[in-house]
Amino acid sequence: MLARLGIAVAALAACAATGALAAKRPATAVGVGEREFRIAVYRESVPPGPVRFNVTNRGEDRHDLVVRDRDGRELARTGEIPAGGQASLRVRLSAGTYRLRCDVADHARRGMRARIRVVRPSER
Amino acid sequence: MVRHRPDRRRPRRRAGWSEDHVRRLLWRAGFGATAAEARRWARRGRAATIDWVLDGPPGGARLRGRAPHVEGRRLDPVNEWGDDVLWWLDRMVRSTHPLAEKMTLFWHDHFATADQETPLLLAQNRLLRRHALGSFRALLGAITRDPAMQLFLSLADSPKEAPNENYARELMELFTLGGGYTERDVREAARALTGYRSEWDDRGLVAIRWDPEQHDGGVKRILGRRGRFGVEELLDLVCAHPRHAPFMAEKLWSWFVATPPSRATVRSLAGVYRRSGLRIGPVVRAILEHPALYRNLDAPDMVKSPVVYVAGALRASGSSITHGYPVWLLETMGQRLFRPPSVAGWDGGPAWMSTNAVVQRFAFGNFLVSYGRPQVREGSVKATLPPREALELAREAVGSPPISPRTRRALTRLAARWFDDIPKDWRDQADWRAESLQRTLRHLLIAGPEAQLC
Repeated sequence: MLARLGIAVAALAACAATGALAAKRPATAVGVGEREFRIAVYRESVPPGPVRFNVTNRGEDRHDLVVRDRDGRELARTGEIPAGGQASLRVRLSAGTYRLRCDVADHARRGMRARIRVVRPSER
Repeated sequence: MVRHRPDRRRPRRRAGWSEDHVRRLLWRAGFGATAAEARRWARRGRAATIDWVLDGPPGGARLRGRAPHVEGRRLDPVNEWGDDVLWWLDRMVRSTHPLAEKMTLFWHDHFATADQETPLLLAQNRLLRRHALGSFRALLGAITRDPAMQLFLSLADSPKEAPNENYARELMELFTLGGGYTERDVREAARALTGYRSEWDDRGLVAIRWDPEQHDGGVKRILGRRGRFGVEELLDLVCAHPRHAPFMAEKLWSWFVATPPSRATVRSLAGVYRRSGLRIGPVVRAILEHPALYRNLDAPDMVKSPVVYVAGALRASGSSITHGYPVWLLETMGQRLFRPPSVAGWDGGPAWMSTNAVVQRFAFGNFLVSYGRPQVREGSVKATLPPREALELAREAVGSPPISPRTRRALTRLAARWFDDIPKDWRDQADWRAESLQRTLRHLLIAGPEAQLC
């Protein structure tokens, strides 16, 4: 549990460094499962505002999760998550499509890429 | 072993069928009995109680009582960590058909699957509940096609050129036979199981599809039979094998009864299973009607698994899910739902009572007394309450569990001496001490040795 907390704290620190830490209001939770070499995102779309990615590494290697906007700008990233570990990543997202990927080694090239859409409730 | 006489304070309603029988039945076939349930079903008699346990209420199962929430928010089992555990735990606590949940737990242990995406594991959980007391053959077919299982045991994308043997091996070893097969049977069965392909997109698994091009359609020799067996024929073969019925009978028996069955009992249960067309419900009924289930009502011998212990204590005390704490406690007790340690499931029995697990069970007692229905409200207890009445008040608050005369004497003595360090003329101003006594008594009733067995 301490390891998980450490990961979460590191992730939050990374968010703060990039100015992406959202204000403390309820975030939309998004479950994310990572394995070799897939990223499964449990929600297709979320409303604009704070989003919390709850990442579980279900694989055997270490993985991370990086959130980028459609122009490739990095918004937030977790540290490397050990096999079986979990991390939480909080970021504020406005309407649009965002890319999720694992930046460890060549994992993204081998398939660890995904997308999430942020849409206003009226447009869903 | 804790041995105690049935509590004579509780009335016996019908010859041969008492509240003690009801409690034994409802613990083994569910998650315990509330005091009201024990009274009601003792009055109704054995046959009516077993019918209710098996069939559930008319109109189907539902959830009663307060819906779960964690720190003010509703559960989000797919996306929030631990909410999947709380979601199922809540069903165990509030369902009006506890046997369906207990059997879903049985199948979760039998067809143990882990390390898969949460939506897939939740879908598998619904599948197990749907088939919990129905046809085993139908359940086996459904679990073989289940995406979580397919990915866990590498059935999806098993190439016909080099079939993966994981599922074929566990199908025979853990799911249907337990023995009586050869390595060649496993290899040939793996050939019969080829043909499933997984399809993925940006959001994960799209579907598991059948692709005839990927299936090995050649002749196989499995369990002494020869033919161009495919998946369905293979499942028929293992279910028709002479070892299957006794294997399932024994496995089901050990879920409800701690002592091993006699050979005659296994033969009899296997006969029930075969005659019913491999249906689970009739075998479970035969076990619930068996005298062995009600043996030694004064000396329970089955260790409650962590999940049964936690769900039972919440249910008996009328508490609802309000915190995520049980998720961590269940993990440290050794049984996190949706995360069995291996494909063989949990070891169970005395293994649940390791030193650390017992400490965590005590911690759960603290949690329930602090946040659950048994919490003691300020000003609710007087220090002038006689020791026996203090104990009865504590028992009622945690669901009136039966206690042995020995435990009753010990707790009454504790209550009588609780104020010994306070001068008698101060007693009427020591209600805060009476509250701490109540908390202690409730905690000991929830977490003491007798509460660990059923």
